[in-house]
Amino acid sequence: MEPFVTRRTMLAGAAAVSLIVSAAATAHAATAIDVGALRLVSHAPSFVAQERGYFAEEGLDVTFRFFEAAQPMAVAIASGDVDYGVTAISGGLVSLAEKGAIKVIGGALQEEKGIDGQMVLASDEAFAAGLDHPSKLGGHTFGMTTAGSSFHYMAAKIAQAEGLDDLELKPLQQVGAIIGALKSNQIDAWAIVPHIAKALVASGAAHEIGRIADYLPDYQVTTIFTSAENAADERETTVAFLRAFAKGAADFNAALVDRTAGEKAADEMVALIHGYVYSDKPLEEAAPSIRNGAMRSNEGAALNLTSVRDQLDWFKAEGLVKPGITIETLVDDTYVEIR
Amino acid sequence: MREPAGEPEAETREVPFRGGGFAPRPRRWAGPLVFVLLIGLLEWGTRTGFISSLTLPRPSAVFATLVQLWQSGALAEHLLPSLQRLALGSLMGISAGIAVGVAIGLFSLVRAGLVPLVAALFPVPKIALLPLFVIWFGIDEGSKNALIALGTFTPTVVATYGGVDNVDRTLIRMAQSFDLSWWSIVRKIVLPGALPAILSGLRVSLAIAIILLVAAEMLGANRGIGAYVLEAGSLYDLERLFAGVVILSLLGIASSWLVSRAEKLLLAWRPR
Repeated sequence: MEPFVTRRTMLAGAAAVSLIVSAAATAHAATAIDVGALRLVSHAPSFVAQERGYFAEEGLDVTFRFFEAAQPMAVAIASGDVDYGVTAISGGLVSLAEKGAIKVIGGALQEEKGIDGQMVLASDEAFAAGLDHPSKLGGHTFGMTTAGSSFHYMAAKIAQAEGLDDLELKPLQQVGAIIGALKSNQIDAWAIVPHIAKALVASGAAHEIGRIADYLPDYQVTTIFTSAENAADERETTVAFLRAFAKGAADFNAALVDRTAGEKAADEMVALIHGYVYSDKPLEEAAPSIRNGAMRSNEGAALNLTSVRDQLDWFKAEGLVKPGITIETLVDDTYVEIR
Repeated sequence: MREPAGEPEAETREVPFRGGGFAPRPRRWAGPLVFVLLIGLLEWGTRTGFISSLTLPRPSAVFATLVQLWQSGALAEHLLPSLQRLALGSLMGISAGIAVGVAIGLFSLVRAGLVPLVAALFPVPKIALLPLFVIWFGIDEGSKNALIALGTFTPTVVATYGGVDNVDRTLIRMAQSFDLSWWSIVRKIVLPGALPAILSGLRVSLAIAIILLVAAEMLGANRGIGAYVLEAGSLYDLERLFAGVVILSLLGIASSWLVSRAEKLLLAWRPR
């Protein structure tokens, strides 16, 4: 049982570090770190760790920096303005890793069969014209933010699995623009996280025609990353961050994904997340969207390296990143359990 | 002769001519020298690691990317759709702009009606209207051409009616005294008189068209220099980003050169 031993030794190591960190925390002031986040349900573990004091317990004084998209967050981490972030692996992130600026250190959101994950949607018009399954996407337009985004990867993987070679990708820069284009039938299809997908389907503007989990069963959607400097030189802080993040993820999974914590805990969790996500809407209106958006955040911030490697290989095959980059350049696998 | 101001000793000395003004003289070597020095400095900095690869790409790598773009045929693939959008969009915007501008200059009613509208349209960030344009004109070429057309329209209108307003009034009065017809005055005095201002407005309009090209290619374009630059930016591929920027700059120089040629041709009647 190699992995078990690894995990146990890691936990022991983590516990030891924890003692050192808490000793240090009592002796000195808390370590101030900046954490990049998007106002999405998928960033909930950070919010939970902050609100429930898990960061503080680890001696971390966290300031959130909010971004509109993943790409600027990756750049902010490379420039040292933000210490830790959570986002999908994109071509930009891989390029920054290639330049020695950032490292992936853990995993967050992952696709899992049996849990509502990302959905493939068809516009109303295309659906009416017979687009009711991803296998019929040939010759249709598919929305994405930019080349090298997770949307690009998903579309390419669907096309590969279904043997389509004429799926037309439309870069629209922003999620909002894609939603607009889908609603006005300017594009035929898209794939997106459940809290946005379900709202679109419920409004009748789009129709669900498939699930990403059917094509990419263990897709590591988002990863935790930090600057290469932090990964190499700030080990204690990074371990403390990951532990607090994992605690937040565990609470989140128990409350909204596995629903083992009971209805009251689920309501509390929704209220907590509502402080950060959809906070401009009243709680009653935001609650269904937040519940719908619950996808599993990996236990212990474990990383599915197989999926990350597949994504990296795809970026290289498409010529979106330099061919020389290796998985070691992108990932620092010494922090979390590797699956 | 100066009045003797009490000083007995009046020294005479020769004063050199000082009123040379600040007239610029041609120094052809200076422009290229600045470029060469700057690029040399960047090349040295990126090679020695003084400038990290995260901050700026190596100029020679950018050049290699440009060569590769040219050799693979991708340059034409990106340049042709962009040039087509630029040509169609600015042709629509500029011709409509000149027509409206001349009408504003000539007719008081049109001026009273349209100047406030143009003033209201000018500062509207056209990029913000892009999603709306997609709904109106479709996600394909329509919205891109429309964006460039609207962007070039307003500055052309302002430059044109400004030019018409500045036509020498005495020339118009003289023509009226000689009993030239209204159309004849417009054709022979007003339009030629406004042409220098229209052409210099064209320089601004074309630069704006190139800026808007990148914005127009944000939505739904797989091919085009703007799409290429945006893709390179989102992939954080600095060599390709700068290669695209160089191409956009060259487009700017080319459009400016075209306007200069047009000025030489159309304004040959002006006294030197």
